[in-house]
Amino acid sequence: MGRYILRRLLQLVPVLLGISLLVFAFLHLIPGDPAVTMLGDRATPDAVEKLRERMGLNEPLPLQYLTFLGNLLRFDLGTSIFTGVPISKEILQRWPATFELSVVAMAIALVIGIPAGVVAAVRKNSLVDNLAMGGSLLGVSMPVYWLGLLLVYLFAVNLQWLPPSGRIGINASFAPITGFFLLDSLIQGDFKALGDVLSHLILPALTLSTIPLAILARITRSAMLEVLSQDYIRTARSKGLKEFWVIGKHALKNAMLPVVTIIGLEFGTLLGGAILTETIFSWPGIGSWIYGGILQRDYPVVQGGVVFVAFVFVLVNLIVDLSYAFLDPRIQYK
Amino acid sequence: MGKLGFFRQHWRHIVLAFMALTLALTLANCGGASQQASTPTAGDAAAPAATGALVFGSNGQPVSLTPGNITDGNSLYVQQQIYNYLIGNKPGTTELAPELATEWSASEDGLTWTFKLREGVTFHDGTDLNADAVVFNVNRWWDPDFEYGYRAEGNLYEIWTDLFGGFKGDEASTLVDVQAVDDLTVEFKVAEPFAAFPAAISSAYFGIGSPTAMQKAGASYGSPSGAAVGTGPFVFKEWISGDRVTFTKFADYWEEGLPKVDELVISFVEDPAARLAQLRAGTLDFTVDLTPDQLPEIKSDANLEAIFRPSFNVGYLALNPSYEPLAKKEVRQAIAQAINKPEIVKAFWGDLGETDGHFVPPSLKEYSSGDVSDYKYDAAAAKQAIAEAGYPDGFTLDLWYMPVSRPYFPNPKPIAEAFAAELSQIGIQVNLQTKDWGAYLEDRNTAPGFQSFMLGWTGDYGDPDNFLYAHFGPGSTQDLGDYKNPQLFDLLNQARVASEPAEREKLYKQVDDLIFDEALRIPIVHSQPLLSQRTNISGWAPSPFSTEPFTAVEKS
Repeated sequence: MGRYILRRLLQLVPVLLGISLLVFAFLHLIPGDPAVTMLGDRATPDAVEKLRERMGLNEPLPLQYLTFLGNLLRFDLGTSIFTGVPISKEILQRWPATFELSVVAMAIALVIGIPAGVVAAVRKNSLVDNLAMGGSLLGVSMPVYWLGLLLVYLFAVNLQWLPPSGRIGINASFAPITGFFLLDSLIQGDFKALGDVLSHLILPALTLSTIPLAILARITRSAMLEVLSQDYIRTARSKGLKEFWVIGKHALKNAMLPVVTIIGLEFGTLLGGAILTETIFSWPGIGSWIYGGILQRDYPVVQGGVVFVAFVFVLVNLIVDLSYAFLDPRIQYK
Repeated sequence: MGKLGFFRQHWRHIVLAFMALTLALTLANCGGASQQASTPTAGDAAAPAATGALVFGSNGQPVSLTPGNITDGNSLYVQQQIYNYLIGNKPGTTELAPELATEWSASEDGLTWTFKLREGVTFHDGTDLNADAVVFNVNRWWDPDFEYGYRAEGNLYEIWTDLFGGFKGDEASTLVDVQAVDDLTVEFKVAEPFAAFPAAISSAYFGIGSPTAMQKAGASYGSPSGAAVGTGPFVFKEWISGDRVTFTKFADYWEEGLPKVDELVISFVEDPAARLAQLRAGTLDFTVDLTPDQLPEIKSDANLEAIFRPSFNVGYLALNPSYEPLAKKEVRQAIAQAINKPEIVKAFWGDLGETDGHFVPPSLKEYSSGDVSDYKYDAAAAKQAIAEAGYPDGFTLDLWYMPVSRPYFPNPKPIAEAFAAELSQIGIQVNLQTKDWGAYLEDRNTAPGFQSFMLGWTGDYGDPDNFLYAHFGPGSTQDLGDYKNPQLFDLLNQARVASEPAEREKLYKQVDDLIFDEALRIPIVHSQPLLSQRTNISGWAPSPFSTEPFTAVEKS
């Protein structure tokens, strides 16, 4: 087991190496000189040249890549070309926003998606099933950008029930401790702030949860259907077990394997920062930051940001893989 | 059990490891967060103003709060609140008005500019504003060897060379010396008379910062973790990366009774649809950079008011004479004649744009020639003119459109398609082209450049020199195949050094006649950027220059 984890962690090295190479290559393949982008419409060639020199852009590409890698090994992700803020600092500052949003979105997806899938499977072809599956199809196919704006218009502009953006009210006198606002407001026993934070979380979390929710419902349904036709379910039923336990314990647990895989993938994706959701709701997370970096050709931001996101993604999936052993005792790690 | 037993024993460690990672990140974050948090909670336990903070929605995060080092609107909007300028503008106009300098004048020969400073002004950190402080700021921008310029750490002050020719020691530098004559008098010596000097120094880039704060913060000055200290209406409190900048009222501000609000927030909202939604929901009080197609929505909301910023830009179509068919003036004029500008402007800008034959915007109309109206749309005459110029079968033309939206061209591609459709009527076959914005800007200046392209300009300061020299003067025509017109260069140089306003007006009118006739950069539109505020906001006078201080803005 320990050896398995070690091996998986070692496998991270080539994965991250590959990612860093890809990111580096793609960034430098995109036309457009960051020095020109930075200096704007009026840059003189001389100034551009000076800035390129200072940014190290005149070095041969392989050398630039090796420098980047060398710094990476020392956990030095560089500094933003534009703001001069160290990448690692920016990640630390923005990570809690993205993490908090992802966790809440994932929680919504789990709490609604899995029961919906189970009910749909148990009541196959009923009205409930059709509603759930129709709804999830809608959820998967709805453009996030449009849905987000729609929710803002409905709940923030027309009904005025919820705030349209940000993590906390602008007039709130709230001093964050950890950066996770839900946790911070609880620690401080500040329930007014907690309500404020929650009200800000609802719309973006709902928007962000639609796709994982819909996928989870569909996967759960099909996995459940497969399990429900197994012999051991009939056995369980025939020995007089209550239907609730048959479904909840015998069937669901066995149907969870593919579901957990999807949870891991989806959660990893959410943690990578939801660019569109974060943009619509002015959510100061990782996604909107990397997006800004791409627009400005801020190489260090994009390189550092993507490598970090990839690292988190791979890590989450490692944890998911390890959790299989719980769900299916037949799985062993070697 | 075996392997599984091991797992059952150790799974908690794995989860713990992950939690530890999160915790480590959190704790590391803690240090930074608590530092930042200590500022707002320290002094102002008192309740905020009854109406709450005034909240402005900007279209993104500033790059830097260091004056003279950056030109993007998001940075300048923040700087406008923190800093004062030597010379300001009458609210909502391009007209100069005293600010930190109460008076300024040029010597007889035009080579010395003397500025008298306002008495009794202090920076937010208590430092006195005096001649030495002004000289310190100017040296940061102008002198590459100035100890406190922090150029090695990345400050560039590029805009200084754009407006004043070069840095200290450069041959082209307009400025040759700056001195504190006495405590409240500053003297600038220029290499040759430069009538637009006061206008240029009044531009939004050159806010005067506190020398004490700049020395103390060093290279970090102006960054989210550094300081930004001026004499302006608002004191910089906090910059939360990716989210907002907050300010408090400067209690000792020199203008009596101002600023009107106690707290100001500039919130970063990149997406225009999200900005409007937030304005309608009331989490923003006023905002900028909305798109023309949002006007009906603003008008339909009784809580909102649409505001048009006075136009101070030009969107143009450039025709590069180094491409053979365009070398003939008659062909260029025919193209100007073949494009139905009024219809295009009506279709794409609605109420938010106007079109005429002048390259400078209407707010500088005293410099526009009365003889110039515009080429009248006439496709048949244009077609004939092209035939007479030796192209009876027309020719092909690459037309480059911008990949980004700017106030002067909010949606470049459909506008380019409209040009193409009209040019095809006179036998010119247009190939529409575009590329990445950075590459676009760069490649148009690399010989032979683009055959024709769309671009625009928003003025830095209220002088035609800023529009005309920058597009038709020596060194500004690389994108027109290094087009050189001695007569034009001569007129522009004369207008630069002339000291009499009447004389300058006369010269610029001649320039206007000449560039209209040459039809090299065909002015398509002078647009008015769309802004909006909630109806309980008053006192906002948007500046033609795109950014302004919120000194007089009130919330009821």
